[in-house]
Amino acid sequence: MNKFAGMALGAMMASGAQAQETVVWWDFLGGGDGIRMKQMISDFNAQHEGKIAIDATTLDWGLPFYTKVQTSVAVGEAPDIMTYHASRIPLAVKQGLLEEITPEDWSAMGLGKDDYAPSIWDAVSIEGKQYAVPLDTHPIVLYYNKDVLEAAGLLTEDGKPKGLDSREAFTATLQAIKDAGSVKFPLGSVTADGNFMFRTIYSLMGQQDGELMTDGEFLVGDNAGKLENALGVLQEWTREGLQSTYTDYPATVALFTSGEAAMMINGVWEVPTMTDLQKDGKLFEWGAVELPVIFDHPATYSDSHAFAIPTGSDLSAEKRAAVLEVIGWISHNSLYWATAGHIPAYKAVTDSDDYKAMEPNATYSSLTANMIYDPKTPLAGIAGPIFDVMSTYFVPTLNGEMEPAKAVEEITYELNDM
Amino acid sequence: MIRNVRREALVAYVLIAPFVAVYGLIFVYPTIDMFVLSFQDAPLIGPGEWVGVENYTRLPGDRRFDTAVWNTAYFVLLTVVPGMLVALGIALSISRLSGRLQSLVMALFFLPYILPVSVVYRIWDWTLNFQFGIAMHVFDMIGLDRVPIFKITTWFIPAVAFVTIWWTCGFSVLLFLAGMRAIPGEIYEAAALDNTSRWRMFRHITWPLLWPVTALVLTIQLILQLKIFDQVYLFSQGGRPNDNLVMVYYIFQRAFMNDQGGRAAAIAVVLFVMVIAISVLNFQLMRFSDRRE
Repeated sequence: MNKFAGMALGAMMASGAQAQETVVWWDFLGGGDGIRMKQMISDFNAQHEGKIAIDATTLDWGLPFYTKVQTSVAVGEAPDIMTYHASRIPLAVKQGLLEEITPEDWSAMGLGKDDYAPSIWDAVSIEGKQYAVPLDTHPIVLYYNKDVLEAAGLLTEDGKPKGLDSREAFTATLQAIKDAGSVKFPLGSVTADGNFMFRTIYSLMGQQDGELMTDGEFLVGDNAGKLENALGVLQEWTREGLQSTYTDYPATVALFTSGEAAMMINGVWEVPTMTDLQKDGKLFEWGAVELPVIFDHPATYSDSHAFAIPTGSDLSAEKRAAVLEVIGWISHNSLYWATAGHIPAYKAVTDSDDYKAMEPNATYSSLTANMIYDPKTPLAGIAGPIFDVMSTYFVPTLNGEMEPAKAVEEITYELNDM
Repeated sequence: MIRNVRREALVAYVLIAPFVAVYGLIFVYPTIDMFVLSFQDAPLIGPGEWVGVENYTRLPGDRRFDTAVWNTAYFVLLTVVPGMLVALGIALSISRLSGRLQSLVMALFFLPYILPVSVVYRIWDWTLNFQFGIAMHVFDMIGLDRVPIFKITTWFIPAVAFVTIWWTCGFSVLLFLAGMRAIPGEIYEAAALDNTSRWRMFRHITWPLLWPVTALVLTIQLILQLKIFDQVYLFSQGGRPNDNLVMVYYIFQRAFMNDQGGRAAAIAVVLFVMVIAISVLNFQLMRFSDRRE
């Protein structure tokens, strides 16, 4: 009997070793970064022909994606590997959606804690265990139109905008652009989308060492005041006509790329939009720098794309090895991913000379030292409940309908009421 | 031949069994489950701890629940009767046309109805976009201030109601037209011989004879609009979601975003009871007014 079982097992293993493993992959990378990821996948497939093939699907970003993951895990139809935002990991772990990436997995991939910045490593860890492999960090940056700023005499010698070091100086720069009169808006802001503005406002809170959540409570002590300060600056810009009002995300990008807005605060993921447009000769000279210091010190909100393995699909040993090979390969080759604007999480890549020569990445990569992540709570994260509460009060405040103090009061009430 | 009643009954049971089974599986069982879930502190998937009526007792003090109830009521008020009147008006106008032109106009009014909600959302989102929308250029031309329609609470629900009527009234128009065609021409002929005015013809012939169709349109619309979700969800994106909540949106938010299946179920039960109560009330009122005619 034993002999037969042994033979059967041997036969299975032999066939397993020969058969090609198909890794089912889901991502939500639908923009310029999605095109680059598809290129990486096809490179991977070419290099692993006959051994591993990635079967990739791109799904709708945000809540639809995370809802689908939840239901697919529940019915055992989840993919073998998926992209995930680091900010969503606390909720996913609470819901039991993610498999732990064990120390054995890390060594199989040839990766480990020392390969990542501490803030990134921490963002994928819950109580000392890791639940995803970080691919990148994608903070927000300040894009600017070099032609317009130069004409107004607002560029420094190294080609950066003037006035990046204080609230007064930056407001003065915006005012000078307005006075020059060559553009409709000095700053294009996503003022109709509080979800997006969370990133800017949280950055401005971070510049004052503000915390959204302290020991499970929201906006404790002077943190409410710090949020009010952040909202106050942005409202002032609206009142002075320095930024676009009621502008949604696509309109913001359109205002900037059409030259109607001289600057724009947006994610690094718009870098491919700019490089691709410029390649076709349809864009002015542009640059991207770390956010200006409006308050005490530099700080920028960031999130990470990471790879996660959903629970409940019971991967065979071979399949798991194939999945780890995929994640490891993509991480080790993430220099190309940087052309999507993102900052690769794998240190060996960002330390390389090739990366240091990349523009505009090199100009803003200094900000990795100043990154702040979402608070670690199941309520946080991209398209999560905190976003909805914030958005509801950010939109009227940023457009001058509501006073910052009132907004902070309402936000505090609603957040603590969840 | 002697009929074997028991045998016939057996055949009947066998024949309806599959339908009863499917009905039980996809309607009765989930409904019961929803009631059970509403008494638990459950996540989105799977059961949770039993908490009694707590999910219900916290609803009256829940600000977002208030918003959802009021917005739903406001939306129903703005869509059901106005939508019916618009459809009736269009149907009356179309019925005056004839031949190919009539078919063409009818098709044009029906066209929006076949569009998926995402397309409807895109069309109106583009039209009314604050920075680039065509409508805003019209505002500029006639010297009005631009209005960020979907981003301020004053305009949100009325705008969504308008879009909904534009989108769905084609179906009601069809029902009205069918109803009008069923009215025998002789009645109008007789009335015309008596020199009846157009208004009296409408008031005393068309309207009463069209009442069953009107009742049908109102009932369908009422139930449909109480369950409004997709337009509100799409138009809220990025804007002020918590100010725009309607009942189904709030259920979705609690369940899928906050991972609170139990609390979502409690709201769903409230909506379920509301829909049943309002439909029964509506039906009784219709029957009452029908008899009076």
